[in-house]
Amino acid sequence: MQVFQKAICADERVWGNTSASHSLKQCPSALCGKVGKVQETPCIILPSCPYAESVRLQMAERTAKQQLLRDIKRHKSVYALLAIPLIYYIIFKYVPIFNGQIAFKDYMALDGVLGSQWIGFEHFRTFVNSYYFVELLRNTLMYSLGKLVFSLPLAIILAIAIYESNRPILRKTVQTLAYLPHFLSWVIMYGILLALLAPGDGIVNDVIKLFGGKPIDFLTNTDAFPWIVILSDAWKEMGWSAIIFIAALMGIDPSLFEAALVEGANSWQRVRYITLPSIRPVIVIVVLLRLGTILDAGFNQIFMLYSTPVYSVADIIDTWVYRQGLLEFQFGLATAVGLFKGVIGMFLILGSNRLVKRFGGSSLY
Amino acid sequence: MKKQYFVCIALIALLSFVSLPLFSQGSKDSAVDGPVSIDLWYGAAVTEAGPPPADWVGFDIIKEKLNIDLKLTTLPSNESDQDVKIQAAAAANNLPDLFMVRRDVLARLVSQGLVAPVDDLYEKMPTRTATHYNEVSRNHTKFNGKSYGLADPGSIVKNEGLLIRKDWLDNLGLSIPTTTDELLDVMRAFTFDDPDGNGKNDTYGYGAFQEVNNYEAWPGRRLEPILGAFGVEGTWDMTVANAGLTILKPEFYDAMVYLKKMVDEGIIDPNWLAYKKDDFRAAWKQGRFGIMREQNAAFAAQSNYAPFDKNFPNGEWVVMDPIKGPKGHASIGPYTAGFRIYAISAKAVEEGKKEKIAELLEWMASDEGYYLLGWGVEGVNYTKDANGIPVADGLPDPDLAFSGPVGQTVTQLRNMVFYNGDIELYARYPKYITATSKKEMSALDVLRTMQSKQWTPAIGSDMLPIPSADLKRFYEQGLSEFITGKRTLNRTNWNTWIAEFKKLGGQDWNDKGVAFAKENNLLNE
Repeated sequence: MQVFQKAICADERVWGNTSASHSLKQCPSALCGKVGKVQETPCIILPSCPYAESVRLQMAERTAKQQLLRDIKRHKSVYALLAIPLIYYIIFKYVPIFNGQIAFKDYMALDGVLGSQWIGFEHFRTFVNSYYFVELLRNTLMYSLGKLVFSLPLAIILAIAIYESNRPILRKTVQTLAYLPHFLSWVIMYGILLALLAPGDGIVNDVIKLFGGKPIDFLTNTDAFPWIVILSDAWKEMGWSAIIFIAALMGIDPSLFEAALVEGANSWQRVRYITLPSIRPVIVIVVLLRLGTILDAGFNQIFMLYSTPVYSVADIIDTWVYRQGLLEFQFGLATAVGLFKGVIGMFLILGSNRLVKRFGGSSLY
Repeated sequence: MKKQYFVCIALIALLSFVSLPLFSQGSKDSAVDGPVSIDLWYGAAVTEAGPPPADWVGFDIIKEKLNIDLKLTTLPSNESDQDVKIQAAAAANNLPDLFMVRRDVLARLVSQGLVAPVDDLYEKMPTRTATHYNEVSRNHTKFNGKSYGLADPGSIVKNEGLLIRKDWLDNLGLSIPTTTDELLDVMRAFTFDDPDGNGKNDTYGYGAFQEVNNYEAWPGRRLEPILGAFGVEGTWDMTVANAGLTILKPEFYDAMVYLKKMVDEGIIDPNWLAYKKDDFRAAWKQGRFGIMREQNAAFAAQSNYAPFDKNFPNGEWVVMDPIKGPKGHASIGPYTAGFRIYAISAKAVEEGKKEKIAELLEWMASDEGYYLLGWGVEGVNYTKDANGIPVADGLPDPDLAFSGPVGQTVTQLRNMVFYNGDIELYARYPKYITATSKKEMSALDVLRTMQSKQWTPAIGSDMLPIPSADLKRFYEQGLSEFITGKRTLNRTNWNTWIAEFKKLGGQDWNDKGVAFAKENNLLNE
């Protein structure tokens, strides 16, 4: 037996004017017959009555539509704002999916997307069988996971440190300084890194030389280069990534901290037992979203920093696509690799979300 | 439910309508009676300066005299970015009517049928053809027997040279090295004997950066004089007797050993693998090294030389002869005929714009077009000296001088009219007195000296087949790993690596290149 608010079944005309074979009189339940006449009290419908159920659904649907229309009308400015990104996503993200079919075609510009010949999985085979495929995949995963492992904890630590700080001026200063590198392009960052790390006259090597050490060619040494990529990314993006965690921290109920203080918890215990568990859902969401782009290792950064001597540890899928796909006019191949990355990312998000949901409780959706 | 279906269908129809322009394959020129619209993607003459302003007098003249509405778009200064921009437009079949393009990219566009042959245009542009095109230039853009691009004279050939700090040599009592052994000694002295006398260990013998292209593969142009001493300068040996990839010659290994020695001893600036072009140029102006290969204007033009002159009033670079190797070979490097190719899209021809494009290019070669695009408006952007050479003297507003920051914007198309004639060279490289040291300098004199040195002819070597991206990476990565020590450089390892290179496609690349060179009569005796 289901209970509904009067608003749902208050439209007496629907009940009274129906000419359908299922009329109120035919309804086997006495209770059902009373429904339409009840004005002020919750009405009771027996699910066993097919007519009553269908009308109830119709009414519920209609009422929900009316409610939606009323909401849109009432909050039209908010819905207008929502429309802008929605249109953006439709035009720039969903419509181009149509062109994704060139991943399976020998794309000729004159023939267009529809006119080009189907070649099946040829581009995918080219990519997977390419001489450097394993190395490209390894490097891409190395940088993606490396950035996840290093940058994310650093961002969380920075967010907690900023949140826990009792000195507003210090907090704001640190926050601003930490955000700043995010706004510098990798072209400028390369200039800064060169000034810091150049083997001839870089500041770091000057210090090394001062202590009698041998200069290290950080940017062209295969052992040092991956660390430079991961750490420079952490430096550049740590402050920006911390914003979402600071926002999550702001949402923690202060009474939890007050209670913990009364109970004698020290700072570390408060972080461990209150702060971290409270922001766990946000951490999970961020990790899940990062997993979705696991095969995007940061084209701009690597493209600016890499050079011939470090190709073996620097070349990633995107830089290969740039050279092989875009510079060689193989747009079908470039699209196939993009599709490959997208599918892997999607399965990673779906799989990890399910795992997190099963074992952790919180998830992306 | 029916209503829902209707709404869904209507939404899809609406979206399709909205997205139609995204799939569009170019557009027809709608103007029938009005001026013909021509989209031109050009390479800027001065990349630091902006495009011609919207009120540039050239637009009005071209519209009035030729009935052409010229629309300009500047291509990126970086070649890779240029390629991406053009190929992205090509992929959408949306190429501009007339555009500058590199030969490799042109070859791909030809195979896609996106550019039109231009053989019939030469006779329609008699003035331009007389000064700009010849048999070599036509062959440069020839594919399957047809010329698909107008190859205008590009950068001046042999415009680079091997330069050495004479003041450092004098300080150390050394003379200009002539052999590879002497060069090593001088590089060591420049590195370890404090040639600038500042008491610091802050100088190096040789300076370079990685600058590669089709015919000057890794380690690239800046180290060609070293490779030239071993007879393996350039990607290709273009002689009849030894035609093929230079990397497959035994002497290439010897050159690598020499380079490795430079790196191991620390007598080449260790930043050379990390430098970009601007870093390299900043470095020699800061006195970091004493030997380099540099371009004449980048070295001696007034604004380029000024920082060095200020930092080192007593500093002096001289152009030296290429060093001789163990077998007496010497070369600054290979040279080709430098061209700047302009192609016409097939779409423009379909739209009936070919004749108008020819008219436009022919007008550019006329006196009016030549001076307007080359130097601007007489009396505003330039005046003529007694010899008829455009100069920047005596102008009411010096800021508008063709060589000034504002005036440069109206000469951005000058590369479309210049053909390296004497007037251009005299105007481009005037003699001047340096601000600090009061030396008389002339980039033209430097150019003439550089051109007089020993170079290796390799005309057409930039037309030979290029390797796949993977093979190119294998080539560059392998050599750099030998030089940096990641791979041990010895005969066994070298031979193993060469065998792998051949297996990966290197042999095929070599064979195709040689065959192409023979078919097109590109080899020298």
